[in-house]
Amino acid sequence: MILRLNTDIASGALGLVFGAVLWFPRADIGRLSIIFPRAILLILTLISIALIVKGFIKPSGRQIEITGSPRRLATVMIGFFVWWAVVEILGFLLTTLIAFFALTWYLARVETAVTWQRMLKWTPVILVLVGVFYLTFTEVLNVRLPSGLFF
Amino acid sequence: MDMLLEALTSLLTFESMLTVLIGVSAGLFIGAMPGLTATMALAMLLPFTFSMEALQGLIALGAVYMGSIYGGAFTAILINTPGTPSSIATTFDGYPMARQGRAYEALAAATIASVVGGIVGVIFLLILAPPLARLAVAFGPSEMFWVAMLGLTLVASLSSDSLLKGLLGGCIGILLSTIGVSPVGGESRFTFGYPPLQGGIELIVALIGLFVIPELLTMSAEGRGALPDGGELRKKEVSIGKIARRIFSKPANLIRSCLIGQVIAIIPGAGGNVTSLVAYNEARRFSKDPKSFGKGNVDGVVASESSNNVMVAGSMVPLLTLGIPGAPPDAIILGVLLMHGLRPGLDLFTQSGVLTNGFILSMGLAALMLLPVGLLGGRVIHRVVIRTPYYFLVPSIAMVTILGTFALRNSMLDVGIMLLLGTAGYFLRLIGIQAAPIVLGLILGGIAEQGYVQTLMAAVVDPIPWLRLVSNPLSMVLAGLVVLGAATALVPMWLARKGLLDKVDANDRGGSS
Repeated sequence: MILRLNTDIASGALGLVFGAVLWFPRADIGRLSIIFPRAILLILTLISIALIVKGFIKPSGRQIEITGSPRRLATVMIGFFVWWAVVEILGFLLTTLIAFFALTWYLARVETAVTWQRMLKWTPVILVLVGVFYLTFTEVLNVRLPSGLFF
Repeated sequence: MDMLLEALTSLLTFESMLTVLIGVSAGLFIGAMPGLTATMALAMLLPFTFSMEALQGLIALGAVYMGSIYGGAFTAILINTPGTPSSIATTFDGYPMARQGRAYEALAAATIASVVGGIVGVIFLLILAPPLARLAVAFGPSEMFWVAMLGLTLVASLSSDSLLKGLLGGCIGILLSTIGVSPVGGESRFTFGYPPLQGGIELIVALIGLFVIPELLTMSAEGRGALPDGGELRKKEVSIGKIARRIFSKPANLIRSCLIGQVIAIIPGAGGNVTSLVAYNEARRFSKDPKSFGKGNVDGVVASESSNNVMVAGSMVPLLTLGIPGAPPDAIILGVLLMHGLRPGLDLFTQSGVLTNGFILSMGLAALMLLPVGLLGGRVIHRVVIRTPYYFLVPSIAMVTILGTFALRNSMLDVGIMLLLGTAGYFLRLIGIQAAPIVLGLILGGIAEQGYVQTLMAAVVDPIPWLRLVSNPLSMVLAGLVVLGAATALVPMWLARKGLLDKVDANDRGGSS
């Protein structure tokens, strides 16, 4: 998918917004702690303005291209965040198993229709993969993974 | 010399060889996992060394250290994910090479460079430890500031499309590094009233997010794996001998990268992340074909991997002589030394000389062991990446990155930050702001800030405080190198923009024909 966008102006605007987010809470910070970030914020602002000016005078790119399927991109993007948000509710093991099955099913559909038989064939692989990593981290590396409502 | 021979004898036992082999293999596996760093690998192994003899424990730690730094190159080359922060620069050319079907060439070059780097580091450590340690003490805050600035000149090299966007990315990275408690003032900054942010943004979290998540999103959107289908290792076309000849026929890159690695490694706090970036930058600057860097130039992989493996033994110089860890993993080795009653300093080379030399030589052995273990491990991991369908690969990598990120500080917030930065990284890439300058800013921001603020504090009574940044010969030399570095990166860009390079190329072609 190709979108019309002046990338110089977009970059400059993004730099200014990012700078503004950090610029306004700086008043409560002491001199020693703000001296360096303030210098960098100033440089960031100058670069952003330069990019915006350049965008009007001599833009380097007027379009961006999202390769592949934008719908799949958005779905996987949201899927990652849902995975993260649900981990603390359902626990790492259950959430990861669900997310793994869901992502595999969704992404495999690109090539061909995914039947129940095919999913059943994948089940032992997914269970072993998630199980091995879960046990390695909890039992060998002693990492306390989120347990949530179940385990 | 007697001590060295005695140390060599104690090393050439079946038990020691086995320890090195297991250590290198374990380190390689841990280093290849995104999120698991060399420091974590050593920390995990630490309890196992409690019951070992002092030498065996140190041999195991040295081997794991060497293996894990090298292991980071595997995923950097095969899935564009630096396994450890010190292999960031390996992704710049390693992954493009793998995408072009030259994965074996990149892996073999990384292995040879790592072996050479590891051995050179050990030789440096054996011969130059005391004089280099004196040099390390000469690096004060202002010098550290310039070292960070020298690293930041790499932004110009990484911004082939737009220098301004590269600089913007660098600034964003530096500002991200300032979130949390200030290293000098000790105050919380930019936490927006949210206390968990006081811990700041962990480098590994940002690294995983900015490198892995955009790649996973692209793979999902395009419905493809990390490497092109049917991409074989091409072992027959490019043999290890050919690659070795190619690297050793032009040794300047290797020698320069090893020297850079050694010099930066002895500076406490700089670490392998900086060595590989600076070495990569210099390799690009000195190359006859700098435009090919970032597009699959094997010299980029050689520069990055040789310098970061020199760092393994190189960073032991300040550790063994002054008790100052040159890099974070060295702090764990210091702990083991102290646990066995060994205090860093001259005594370590006299009274406990056999033990110390045995430990140093074991790192050389570990470097040699990288060759068989690495080439075999590389084939296995490459086969896994190639043969795994992308719909298994994407959730598998996502699971490992989530686990690796969480395990750093047992924090789901880190996982959230990783996903957020990764998603932002995908869109930033679309508008021309690459991940590399952001990560570079994040790594060097803390070092630059500490050097800058401490220098200005010391110069508070000076009429022009910032002149203290160039008040002694060493900082002047470093400042000069920064100016030179920036100029050599910017001048060719300026000439290319003016079209003057095209004229030179045309004249060359005319002259040659």
